[in-house]
Amino acid sequence: MSEARPVVAIVDDDPRLIESLQDLLESANYVVRGYPSAKSLLDSGLAGVDALITDIGMPGTDGFELRDMVKKVRPELPVFLITGRHEIADRDRAQGISGFFRKPFDARALLAAVGEALRDRKMEGQHD
Amino acid sequence: MTSVWLHRPRLMYLGLFSAAYVLGCGFAQSLAIVPGTGISIWPPAGLFIATLVLASGPSWPWWVGVGCLSELAGNALWFHSPLPAAVLIYAGNALEAMAGAWLVHRFCGRPVRLETLREVLVFVVMGAGAAPVVSATVGSATLAWFGIQSQSFTAAWPLWWIGDATGVLIVAPLALVVFQNWRGAAALSAKRWGEASVLGLIFLGVAALSLSGYLPFAYMIMPPLLWASVRFEFKGAAITLALLALITAVFTISGASQFAGDPESQKEKQVMLHLFLAISAFSALIVAAISRQHQQALVTLRQNVDALRDREWEFSQLVGMVPSHLWRLNPDGEPIFFNRRMVEFLGMDVPDTDKPGMSRLEALSEAVHPEEAEKFRGTLRRSLATGEPFRMRYRLRRFDGAYRWMSSAANPLRDEGQRIVQWYGLCHDIDDQVRAEEALRERERGLQELVDAMPVNILSFSPSGKMTYASKRYLEQVGSPLSHIEDFNALAKDLAHPDDFPTMFERASNGFANGEAFVNRFRRRDKQGVYRWIEARAQPLRDSSGAIVQWYIASIDIEDEVRAQEALRAAHESLARQSQAASLAELSATIAHEVNQPLAAIVANSHACHRWLSADPPNLDRAKITAERIIRDANSAAEVIGRVRALFRHSPQARSPEDVNRLISEVCRLMADEITAKVIRLETNLNPGLPLVALDRVQVQQVMVNLLRNGIEAMDGLLDGVRTLWISSCRDGTDAIRVEVTDSGGGFADAERVFEPFFTTKQQGMGMGLAICRSIVESHGGRLWAVNNDDRGGTVAFTLPLAVTETS
Repeated sequence: MSEARPVVAIVDDDPRLIESLQDLLESANYVVRGYPSAKSLLDSGLAGVDALITDIGMPGTDGFELRDMVKKVRPELPVFLITGRHEIADRDRAQGISGFFRKPFDARALLAAVGEALRDRKMEGQHD
Repeated sequence: MTSVWLHRPRLMYLGLFSAAYVLGCGFAQSLAIVPGTGISIWPPAGLFIATLVLASGPSWPWWVGVGCLSELAGNALWFHSPLPAAVLIYAGNALEAMAGAWLVHRFCGRPVRLETLREVLVFVVMGAGAAPVVSATVGSATLAWFGIQSQSFTAAWPLWWIGDATGVLIVAPLALVVFQNWRGAAALSAKRWGEASVLGLIFLGVAALSLSGYLPFAYMIMPPLLWASVRFEFKGAAITLALLALITAVFTISGASQFAGDPESQKEKQVMLHLFLAISAFSALIVAAISRQHQQALVTLRQNVDALRDREWEFSQLVGMVPSHLWRLNPDGEPIFFNRRMVEFLGMDVPDTDKPGMSRLEALSEAVHPEEAEKFRGTLRRSLATGEPFRMRYRLRRFDGAYRWMSSAANPLRDEGQRIVQWYGLCHDIDDQVRAEEALRERERGLQELVDAMPVNILSFSPSGKMTYASKRYLEQVGSPLSHIEDFNALAKDLAHPDDFPTMFERASNGFANGEAFVNRFRRRDKQGVYRWIEARAQPLRDSSGAIVQWYIASIDIEDEVRAQEALRAAHESLARQSQAASLAELSATIAHEVNQPLAAIVANSHACHRWLSADPPNLDRAKITAERIIRDANSAAEVIGRVRALFRHSPQARSPEDVNRLISEVCRLMADEITAKVIRLETNLNPGLPLVALDRVQVQQVMVNLLRNGIEAMDGLLDGVRTLWISSCRDGTDAIRVEVTDSGGGFADAERVFEPFFTTKQQGMGMGLAICRSIVESHGGRLWAVNNDDRGGTVAFTLPLAVTETS
């Protein structure tokens, strides 16, 4: 594996979820960085991060705010939102947004979505 | 002696008496014409008796003394008797006078006026009949003893007696007249003077003719004598008798009289003369007395008639003033009298009821209002026929045509034979009263209608509790009380629901006893036997002195209101259930999130595990780790479900009075295993005297279980020190009880937030427990709060009110 493995950052206040997502993504050959809050992610910086998966409902900065902040710095960075609360998924802000998952999410779909997003980026980069 | 001196009569009277006495002696001497007797008419006897009759008793010695001197003087002048004989004779005369005066007084009393027949008779019998017996006896005995004029006792006695009797009869009346009229002027009218003059002439003429012997019969004098007695009564009789005696004496002395005669018949003639004078005097005096009595009766009658006339006038004035109508009917019912008021009212008097073609009664009936006229006639006719009193109210037409109500009554007046003589009636104008009564009745009817129209039952009771009034609506709804139910207590016991009776009865009894208004809400049985809720307000009515005269009880049917309240409470409960359901929806979302977390982890791990196993070569180590994580998370999810089930395992149940201590003990038994397993010491401090509290047993037990478990869990992380759980119960003020659960754990980080749903500080748990506990306690009307203990640990306490206030 000459190629460097893509790095996925995960933000969730539930350590069990970070744990399981990390397990899942690592089984798909991703490098995973887990953060318990948006602040901890922003503190450590977005450098090297190829994709971001964040929970929506969190104490402090929530998932939507985090996405908006990240998009300002790294517009091209793929961001996936996950939530356990279905009513949040039904809100306006979530409508029409790709990369939106409800817990319990379909792990294969998530992996496929992450993989697709990273492949698109790589192809864009190759074109560049 | 002094007393005798004090009673000395006036000297002039004594002198006149003495002079008259001596003159009387002279007169007697001149008439003593019977030879050899010296006895004749003795005027001093009449003078002496009359004087003593009028004189007061104590003065008698004076008169007796003067009389003695006078008679001795007369003796010296004419009689020439020996002094002892004269004194003895005088003693007889004095005794005669005193006896006569005493007897007259004895039988007639004082003063003696000789105006009645009885007085005259007493005077004649006692003064002229009995008294001379003394004088005659003493005098005749003296004559016989001294041999004066050679008289024997028996021969002298009759002459002496009749002489004295005649003297008394003739002179005593004259003397009385003179004494009694001493000062009074003779008040005779000219006509009477004329009559007296004519009478005097006739009398003198007849006397002259008859006694002079011209007419053969002396008693011819009687008619004029009686005339004088009748017309001039006692005075006339006395004066004419005196005149008669004088004339007779003159003619007899002159010898012209028929009583004068030859010496042989002289004694007999003398007796006849005396008899003539005595009979004349007797007749004249009797006639005078009868005439006097007659006159007095006439005067009395005239006075009575005058008095009656005055009374009648007064009565007619009174009748005129009576402010009612007075009327009289004859026995046939014909009006014979209306009083002035009635005449003024009717505008007609009795004569005006004389109308052609109808009786007076018919004419009067016409004034009665047509509606009552028939009854008036019938009732009056029946009374007239049966004699029963007449009573009726009717309207009577006034002179101006206005009718006024009258209360009329008539009663029959009966004579001694019970025959109806006439009817007299009284008729009051009661128009104002009737109108006032009508207005009052109208008002009462209005008030009654008002009372009946009000959707209120009204009862009134006397202060003793006896029912005095029940409104129509009450009778319609509740019915009349049974006959044996007379007072409030019996009524309440009969009608109030047995469950409500003790309370309502106690309150009512207090109210009645203290005279304070009171309100009762209870179920009352209605006519159909159905119990309905009512609210009864009792209010005392007091008189001006403050004493209770009546109790009024107004009761309102609040059945619908009570039902509405119940419906409202049910609606509240339903609403509460719905809002509970709404929060359950929110809750379920939270639970879903809670469950989704481990589920999401499980799903992700499952894929990861699958991938680790599907890799080539399979990464068994990672797969194993992942599988372990899956098991852990799945257990976690199951735990959430279990907890949720535990929290909601309570169903609404009817509240019932419960002993809180017993509930606590039960919960402690339930939790005993869990407590001992965690090596926790449980200490209870239960107040034994707590009253029962109405509560939902399952819910409150759930609260206690939660609080105990909360306390147990709070001490989970506690490594050192003794794990102790205290549970206590006590009174909280007067109207609530309090239960406290205290642990020796770490206390609350935020004692207020602990009740927010999903607030939890525990590693495991959802933060639902205390929130649900609080809602249960609050639904019982209590409070639930948490505080940190001073030393360590926390306390959760709740109260339950004794009186259940329904909050849902």
